[in-house]
Amino acid sequence: MLEKFNVALAQISCKVGDKKHNINTMKKNIKQAKEKGANLIIFPELSLTGYLNRDLAYELAEPIPGPSIHSLEEIAKKENTYIVFGMPEQSEKAHNVLYNTAVLLGPNGLIGKYRKMHLPTHSVFEEKRYFRLGYEAPVFETKIGKLGLAICYDIFFPEIPRLLRLKGSQLIICISASPAVRSRFFEAFTATRALENTVFLAYVNLVGVENGLQFWGGSRIIAPDGSILAKAKYDEEDLVIGNIDYADLKRAEAFVPTLRDLRPELFDSLREQAEKL
Amino acid sequence: MKLTSGALRLDMPSVEARIKRFIKDYVEKCGANGVVLGVSGGLDSCITAALASLSLGGHKVLGIAMPEEETYNATDIQHSKLLAKKFGFDLQIVDISSTLKVFFQSLPIYDVADKVSKGNVKARIRMVYLYYYANKLNRLVCGTSDKSEIMMGYFTKWGDGAADISPIMDLYKTQVRQLALHIGVPAEIVAKPPSPGLWPNQLAEKELGIKYEILDLILFGLEHFMEPKEIAKELNLPIKLVEDVKRRWLATEHKRRLPLTTKLGYRTVGKDFRLPHKPY
Repeated sequence: MLEKFNVALAQISCKVGDKKHNINTMKKNIKQAKEKGANLIIFPELSLTGYLNRDLAYELAEPIPGPSIHSLEEIAKKENTYIVFGMPEQSEKAHNVLYNTAVLLGPNGLIGKYRKMHLPTHSVFEEKRYFRLGYEAPVFETKIGKLGLAICYDIFFPEIPRLLRLKGSQLIICISASPAVRSRFFEAFTATRALENTVFLAYVNLVGVENGLQFWGGSRIIAPDGSILAKAKYDEEDLVIGNIDYADLKRAEAFVPTLRDLRPELFDSLREQAEKL
Repeated sequence: MKLTSGALRLDMPSVEARIKRFIKDYVEKCGANGVVLGVSGGLDSCITAALASLSLGGHKVLGIAMPEEETYNATDIQHSKLLAKKFGFDLQIVDISSTLKVFFQSLPIYDVADKVSKGNVKARIRMVYLYYYANKLNRLVCGTSDKSEIMMGYFTKWGDGAADISPIMDLYKTQVRQLALHIGVPAEIVAKPPSPGLWPNQLAEKELGIKYEILDLILFGLEHFMEPKEIAKELNLPIKLVEDVKRRWLATEHKRRLPLTTKLGYRTVGKDFRLPHKPY
């Protein structure tokens, strides 16, 4: 397993409803990122289709594996790289049961997927109207370490990153489609989740304008000590590479030992109180 | 929540950048040649024309001044010309007096004393002119309403409210003033008392019965789910004034929506047909 490797934050804008265009954008970014030495290339939430698909989500969603996965698998194999991107996923069992899903591909093809567990349905967001909640937060063992996936609003909740970390994740990848008015929340949460779990966190946000909503970019890699290892521009497309060295995990775990000091006996009470809210 | 003028303060360079990006992005996605908008010489239309010019370049912005004899104001025309020169957009002056005259003459029920019905015709005639230019020149109609007016329903339905995009519609009037000064709209235009210009000596604040500095804070409180009694207490205002603003806001929702229909089909326009703007 590689202890040190390069991560590319591919902060792209997408064309709503145009998978062909978006796959081409991804291909170009993958090629450029590989030239810059990236081992892992991360794209934003729903980067296959754009974020605000509304009713088009039903016709755009695909099963996993499906045609778009095959197309991107070919690139991952050809470029011998890991890729994370987002797409509307169609259930294998019911045509119009959809998930907002993050996909992990590797040099041998599809590795796994994560279905978003917290679906924002307030303000300008209407995700529960289209998507079913995910129920699992898997960690994937790869040649670039143990990877956990999360999507956008998930990061407002400490539970998913903590669960991924407790399952052994060394790098949490959070893909996002966050509009500009929410940037300050994500700036705070990305640092907090990395720090409180002593884990690497790579956050990749969308840019561009969809339905009048402007996505702010600001993608970043946060080290387990909270420092920013790489940061993309605000509001513009960007491709930024950051280096991850897992040896830093050890140092952070000893300096602020949040994992050692966890109090699991609080979790039952948390659950009980949350259910009564 | 503290309702002071500070609550309405925004990061103006960022607001300017976002509005410019929004205009450019949508015009390009539509494949349009630019925008056309009514320029009255008042603050809202002047700042919108200026922002569109900064976003697209003045050659892609066509301002139409549409004076008519009853409300003709030479200073407003002069301000429109001044702004067009400063921000480099094209300005055409089209006098709509004769169109209005013919229109009113053709109305069997025309009532010269009913200034609201008459005034609304002026706003709608201006809309007809703007859409003619837009069709003819493959441009989008750019609306100029601000958030205070839109929330109060202080506009003519399908008149000045009709547009393809409304770049300053999420800014209260007092925020529009801040942004105008930030981007260099001349202070004399920013300081003018707002008027829809539908009849002589019409003044927005007189008609609304409240100063924009107060109105905007009440609306800001309502936007943030505050109860009228909380707002009244915070601003030291009579509760009736706040309730009147809230009532007017709710009563004018019909002006901000597609026409209401009753649901009969599987998916219904304006209700549960939910499609993105300009996909593909």
